[in-house]
Formats: sequence, structure tokens, C-alpha cells
Amino acid sequence: MPHEVAFRGVLLPGLLPVFLGCLLLMVLIDMVVGRFGLYRHVWHPSLFRFALFVCLFGAAGLLLLR
Amino acid sequence: MSAVPAIESVPSPSRWPWLAEFLAGERHAWIFVGKSLLAIYIAAWLAMWLQLEQPATTMITVAIVMNPHSGMVLAKSFYRAIGTLAGSVCGLVLMALFPQQRELFLLSLSLWVALCAGGATLYRNFMSYGFVLAGYTAAIVTLPVISHPLHVFDTAVMRVSEVLLGILVAAVVSDLVWPERLRLLLRQNARRQFAQFIDFVRDSTGGSIPRAQMEQAHLAFVRAAVQLEDMRASVIFEDPEVHARSTRMRLLNQRYMSAATSFQSLHHLINRLQRSGSQSVADALIMLYRPIGVALSPEPALRHETTILAERLTACMTQLPAQAAALRVSLDTPTAQLEFDTGAALLQRFAAELRDFAALEGSLRGKQTRGSVEKVHFRRGNDNLGAAIAVLRTFFTMVTLSTFWLASGWAFGASAMLLATIFSGLLAASPNPVSAATHTLYGYAAGMLGAFLVVFWLMPGSDGFLSLIAVSAAFLLIGPYLSTRDTLSGVGAGYTLGFVYILALKNPMVYDPTHFFNDAIAQVAGLALSGIAFVFVPAVTGSGWQRARQLRRLRELVALAASAPLEGLAWRFESVSRDLFQQMVTHTRPGSAESRSLLAWGLAVQESGRAVLELRQDLADGHRVPAAVCDVITLALQAVARLYLQPAAARWRETDAAVRMAIGAAAAMPAVRQHLYQLRTALHDDESPLASYIPSSIPSPLPESGNAA
Repeated sequence: MPHEVAFRGVLLPGLLPVFLGCLLLMVLIDMVVGRFGLYRHVWHPSLFRFALFVCLFGAAGLLLLR
Repeated sequence: MSAVPAIESVPSPSRWPWLAEFLAGERHAWIFVGKSLLAIYIAAWLAMWLQLEQPATTMITVAIVMNPHSGMVLAKSFYRAIGTLAGSVCGLVLMALFPQQRELFLLSLSLWVALCAGGATLYRNFMSYGFVLAGYTAAIVTLPVISHPLHVFDTAVMRVSEVLLGILVAAVVSDLVWPERLRLLLRQNARRQFAQFIDFVRDSTGGSIPRAQMEQAHLAFVRAAVQLEDMRASVIFEDPEVHARSTRMRLLNQRYMSAATSFQSLHHLINRLQRSGSQSVADALIMLYRPIGVALSPEPALRHETTILAERLTACMTQLPAQAAALRVSLDTPTAQLEFDTGAALLQRFAAELRDFAALEGSLRGKQTRGSVEKVHFRRGNDNLGAAIAVLRTFFTMVTLSTFWLASGWAFGASAMLLATIFSGLLAASPNPVSAATHTLYGYAAGMLGAFLVVFWLMPGSDGFLSLIAVSAAFLLIGPYLSTRDTLSGVGAGYTLGFVYILALKNPMVYDPTHFFNDAIAQVAGLALSGIAFVFVPAVTGSGWQRARQLRRLRELVALAASAPLEGLAWRFESVSRDLFQQMVTHTRPGSAESRSLLAWGLAVQESGRAVLELRQDLADGHRVPAAVCDVITLALQAVARLYLQPAAARWRETDAAVRMAIGAAAAMPAVRQHLYQLRTALHDDESPLASYIPSSIPSPLPESGNAA
């Protein structure tokens, strides 16, 4: 993936679509996990979610934009 | 909103109970102060590290968004992000349209800000912040570069990045560091609501409830329903599990509301029967009601166990028809039988609704939810004219400021405009805006004084980010601390904003006393003007005038129930009537004559509206109703609607005649007839607000009863 994306003539950082994609993925994961109540087995659910998001975003960013 | 859910300490007998209480409250406050400071400094550091132009914008954003409950912060942040994006796009468009015409530009900017402030008054949750922010961002993006239109795009990108960074930091910090879960509060509230309702229903099986007690109960039920919806709307951002159950919780609230309406209607009917001398019918209905009370009374430990209650209610419902038939035999006259049938039908409806309510509550308490449920929405009753007045007021404020700015060539006009923009929106939804503006102004001035000390006395000697924290933290923490006090929250918010804004942290820092004072004067002027505008164009929220309008809208709901398309109308009726009612009652003194009259109207509207809806359901889904009868009933419904639109003695007579005629026409259709009869007894209720329109010589209670059998 390119490091910069042109959107109607405006240069945007390539990380932006990756970030939005990860947010979307996170919403999907939340929907599934929330439905089955799996976050109850985690000590600090929001820390877990934040860490999960960092992992997703970090991995996606490193893999796609390297 | 001040529960401390997380501490699971064993309460030891303390020598000074007040001290423990004081410390618990303080702990709560200081956690919030610590989180706020942490978020503000992280935001500042990140903004400098990312080399954004104005770290101050990021810090202000954090200051505005921080709230003790993390669900609130996330909800706020979500709507803020949307508002920010919308506002920056609008700012860019306006700048592109009028790059050279400053007058037109300021006029259209004022209009945009005014529309946003009006939108903010229409919502009671954090969506109103989205509107405030949409206005504020358009101003913050364009005003600083008004003389250099070519730079507007770069500034817009900078400001949006700063604001979004602030939102992100505030959300992450408040969610990760000692989060205060609103979810626990929501769960507690939902359980309490369920338990209270079930207890009330069980304890009232004796039959008659005095009107005053019924009114208080109604008030409590309505408040519970509206609060639950408000909380649900915030908690879905906090917790994915709640989000997954959101649809179900909405449906639960709707079932709760319809069960409460049926319950009230039933009790009004019994009360009326007792007052009008039909004691035998009332006694028969109370006998029939008793099994529901028995079904709700398993052994005390299981009294709020939803699944058990639902099972017992189902069992009770299968027996109700037989019991009703047995009790009916003892009544001899056709009138008494019709009265009894009406009550029995209402009672069975109530039992069914109560069972559905308990069953749904049970499925929500379970670990998992299966299948999907009907989608319903909690509709709000908004006052568009109130919003229009907010638009007008903000427009005048902004136009006045821009005219002054243009005419005087004031170098710091932009700062004044900016502050006026923020506070016009924030104050528009406040119940007492003039005093809120005064408090905020005091806080703001104090904050600027604090910032002055920090900038010109302490900061020049400091070096590096840590010493920045060291010199400013002591002054900064005053703001968040004050905002945890109930009476001083406006002062606290003003202090934080004033401090952070005028501190204008930059990297490298600029020390310019002239600029500092000019900016300070401009900001105070902008803030003061937005407050003064409320003196000239008063806020409508909570005024007697608005209450009168809302009461009219509440009555119009009966007309809505009689005429709007049936699809989803029942849910809409139940939620809008409660929302309007809640809005009206919050601004009246409990127990005052006005409050009593509003309550009476609320009950009357709920009962008649529901009966009208049931009748329309009868007409719509059974094709057995002949067209001629249908027309007579429709006429009666229209008459009821007209009576509620404009109550008058003449209309009451017309309505009464129309309903009597419909009862006569519907002799062959028991269900329709019972609903009509219920409507009629509601009209004749001598304790309802309609009583003052009843002519003194009432026709005999049931003239058509001869046609009934």
C-alpha cells in the first residue's frame, strides 16, 4: 500500500484508511464478543479492548505499509 | 449520578461515620481530578510531539470532554467527533464561497452557528454536544485565518487533528484509568425499576388506590422510563455487551410503559366504579385481580426472580377467563356485566403485558441473548419553537459581535467570536442560562488569573515538559476539583477552560503580556455577551410558556393516536407522552397546584390515548366490523380527539353523545364495545381534568344498556 493516499486531490496519510478499517473491525469484534458476553472473563475489559485495538492497528500498519 | 460502585470493602464500625463518608466523596473527586490532569498533560505532550500548531486546542477539547463516568465520555467523544468533522467541512465551504466578502462570510457563519445552537437544544443527551461542536469547529477553523483565505485548508486540517487528538486521549484515559462504570448504575436502575413496579402491582391488589398515590406512582414510573433510556443511550458506547442488548432494552422499556398504562387504566376504572356506586362490580374485579397478586407473591426470596414470575403469570393467565366467567354470573344487570367485561378485558391485557415484561427482563439478565426482537424506538417530544428561539438568540449575538468587530477593526474580535460561539451553544440547553453564564464567567476570570500567574511568574524559569507540569498542575487542578462539587460545577468548567485557553501552550512558548491581556479582554467580552443575550431573548426551557405549549402537545397526542398511521404508533404514543410529561414536570415544584394539574392531564391523556389506540387496532385487524359501525366509531374517535385538542363543555357533550352512539352501534362486538365503554368512563371521570367541562346535569350513567344484552 502507498504511504500517502490521494483523496480528491488531497494527500492523506496511508495509515488513515488502515486506522478506519481497524476501527470497523473492532466494532465487528465487539458485536460478536458482546453478544456472547465473553468480555466478562477478562480482568479489565476496556484495557483489553484497547490493547486488542493497538495490536490490530500495529499489525495491520506494519504489514501493509512496510 | 454519584454512585461509587467499585469498592467492595466490608463496612467496619467507624468512630467517625461522617469522616468515612467525606473521604469516600473526596476519593471520588480526586480520582476525577487525577484523570483530568493526566489526560490534559498527555494530550499536550502528544500535540507537541506531533508538532501540531496549537496544543491549547487539544487541551481545551480534553477539558470539555472529561466527565466522571466513562460511558459519558465515550458518548460525548463520539458525537463530538462527528460534530467536529461536520463543522470543519462547513467552515471550509463557507470560506470557499466568500473568500473576499467578509460581511457575507460572517453573516453565513453566524447563521450556521445559530442553527447548531438550535439543534443542541433539541437533544437531551450528548448529541447536543455534537451540534455545539459543529458550530464551534466551523468558527475555530475559519476565524483565525479570516485575513488569509489561502491558508484555510491547512488550518482546518490542523484544528481537526488537534480536536480529534484531544477526543482520543480523553476517551482512552477515562476508559482505562479507574473507569467509573455507568453500566453498573444502569443495571441497578433496571433492576430497581422492575422490583418497584412488581411490588407496587402486588401491594395494590386490595383494589383501590387514592388518586394522589397513583399520581406519585405515575411520576416515578415515567421518571424511571426516561432515565433508563437516557442512560442506555450513553452506556452503549461504554460496553459492547450492553450494545448487543440495546434493542432488547428498548423493547423492555416500551413493554414497561405499556404495562404501566394498562395498570393505571385498570385502577382508574375500579376507582370510578366504586365512586359511582357500582360496588359489586368493583368487588368482582378486585376478586379477579387477586390471582395476579398471588402469582406475583412466591416466597420472599424469589419475589424478583423474573423467570419464576413469568411462569406463574402464564399459569395465572390461563385461569383468568374461567374465573371471570364465574364472577360474571353473580352480576345481574347488563350494565354491570358490561362494566365487568370492560374491566376483565383490561385486566387480562395487563396480565399479558406484565408477563411479557417479566419474560424479557429475564432474558436480559441471562448471560447470553438468543434470537432477535422487534425493533422499537423511544421517541422524544421536542419543542421546535424553543429551538427556533435559540437560533434567533445566537444569530443576534453573533451578528452583533461581527458588526462590532468589522466596524471597529478590533484585532482580537476573532477570540471574542469564538468564545461566544462555544458558550451560546453550551448554555442554550441549560435550565437557568443567566446564572450558569455568570458562574462560568467568574470561573473563567479566575482561571485566567491563575494562568497569568503561571505564565509570567512560574513558567519563565521552567525547562522541559516535567517542569511545565510542576508549575501548572497546582493551578490547573482547581478547575476539575470544583466541577465535582454540585453547586460549583459551572465555575469549575469555566476555570478549566479559561486557564487552558489563555495559557495558550506553544512549543516554543511565547511570552507576550500585551497579547495576553488583549486576548483575555476579548474572551471575557465574548463570554459575557453570550450570557447577556439570554437577558434579552430569554431561554424557553423550563418557562411557564413552554410548559403551556408542552401541555397542548401532550393533549394533541390523543388526536395523534386517533389519526396517525397505526404502524408503530403505540410505541410512539407511549414514549412521546412520557418524554413530554417528564420535561414538563421537572420544572414544576412537586406538590404545587400546577404540578398536580399536569399530572392529572398526563394520566388522562395516557388512559384515553391508549383506549383510542386499542379501538383503532380493533377496527384495523378484524374485518368483522361492518362499515356503518366503523363510521360511527370513527366519528366518536374524532370527537374525542377534538375534545382533547380544545377542551370545552360543548365539545364534551358532543363527544359524550358520539361515544354513546358508538357503544349502541357496536352492540354485537364485545371487544370494541368494551374499549368504547372504557373511553366513556374516562370521559365521565370526576377526578380527571376533564371533569371541569362536564355539565352539571349528566345524563344517566348508561342509557343504552338496554341494547346490550
